[in-house]
Amino acid sequence: MRVSLTTRGGLAAPIVRRLPPRVLDTDQLPDTDARELRRLVAAATADPGGAHPAPAARDAVTYTITIDDNSRSTTLTSADTSMSRAFGDLLTWVERHTS
Amino acid sequence: MTSSRRLNCITPPFILTRLLDSDNADIRQAALATLLTTAQLRGERRVRGLIAGALSMQGDGRRSIYNCKHSTFLPSAKLARSEDDGPVKDAAVNRAYEGFGTTRSFYREVFQRDSIDGHGMRLQGYVHRGTRYNNAFWDGQEMVFGDGDGEVFTDFTGSLDVIAHELGHGITEHTAGLEYHNQSGALNESLSDVAGSMVKQWFLKQTAEQADWLIGNDVFTPSIDADALRSMKAPGTAFDNKLFGKDPQPAHMDNFVKLPDTEDGDNGGVHVNSGIPNKAFYLVATGIGGNSWEAPGHIWYESLRASTQTTDFQEFADTTFTKAAELYGAGSSQQQAVKEAWAQVGISITTTPTLLGRV
Ligand SMILES: [Zn+2]
Repeated sequence: MRVSLTTRGGLAAPIVRRLPPRVLDTDQLPDTDARELRRLVAAATADPGGAHPAPAARDAVTYTITIDDNSRSTTLTSADTSMSRAFGDLLTWVERHTS
Repeated sequence: MTSSRRLNCITPPFILTRLLDSDNADIRQAALATLLTTAQLRGERRVRGLIAGALSMQGDGRRSIYNCKHSTFLPSAKLARSEDDGPVKDAAVNRAYEGFGTTRSFYREVFQRDSIDGHGMRLQGYVHRGTRYNNAFWDGQEMVFGDGDGEVFTDFTGSLDVIAHELGHGITEHTAGLEYHNQSGALNESLSDVAGSMVKQWFLKQTAEQADWLIGNDVFTPSIDADALRSMKAPGTAFDNKLFGKDPQPAHMDNFVKLPDTEDGDNGGVHVNSGIPNKAFYLVATGIGGNSWEAPGHIWYESLRASTQTTDFQEFADTTFTKAAELYGAGSSQQQAVKEAWAQVGISITTTPTLLGRV
């Protein structure tokens, strides 16, 4: 399973959009991390939260997480001010495990 | 009103009157009820509780800084420093606290504005939000700051102009309410950059000529070859490097960038086309000379207050021309500087001369 994260918007929108996506592959992770990532993906897929920032938000970021598993591709989209805790947990985990 | 004696023993009438403007419907209702029927209030503990809560809630833009401890879920953040508390160990908390204080003082002293809403709205900041989070934002009620990823970006509380930019979004929301897409959105962004640059220059006691006119020159790590997020003096020149390319901001209407009105298109390029009104403000400030927060700032602030949700560049330019005449006289050097500045970014003032006397 391959997980990739792109971000759009925010105070530095023109810069952030040109930064490379954060990518993780379960094949290259230790078993315990791979299992944890699968668990977080399942939880975020079940409840990603709102797809767009709150209308009153300014400089908020929108996140797209694409999950490619064998031939299946799933895209989750959520944003600052609207993401679920499960989406936030996945986002945090991806940020911690990529550099 | 004849019941002032009875009102005084609970809450001063001027505070009750101010509470009628509260955002909270329950508080407005309670204040109204108190003003109208004070006698009936005796023993009404629930209403008194609401008013006591409202009093502690208002209070001249009192500051509260919360530590998210890297969570993205704000309700779980812990209060780290509130008004009248001394410095704490966490430098990000202190920077947000001081940045809020400077911005609050700026609006109070320069524009006689009491906090974001003009009615002493509390200033709430959340720091250490998320993990390697490359951003700061205004969520409609409060300001939220990331620590940056440590590779490209550092802690966003380190930039006074970024703090004032976010607070500026709150002020725009409580005045013109400019819609956050296309031209009105780029104008919204520009007004926050204008706020950021004025607060920074006021804090540093710099004239328009002395200032660097950069927004977010403190947000990058030392390894990044970039001057800032944006340059108001020379939009399009804030950065040019291999990692994230060249600053896409235009400085003239001829180079206006048409982008889709989607989140992927930065809502029609709100952080891109803001370069045009940004440059106009820089040209007005240097054209008039002296401090940006004096005549130029007052012309811009009064124009913001006279704008609406759908105001575009042309309408805003026309408004600044009208406001310059109202504040400094038709045909004044300040008004001339405004007209010339907009002309240099490709916008001709269209206000009819008959309305204003001579031009
Ligand atoms: Zn902004």
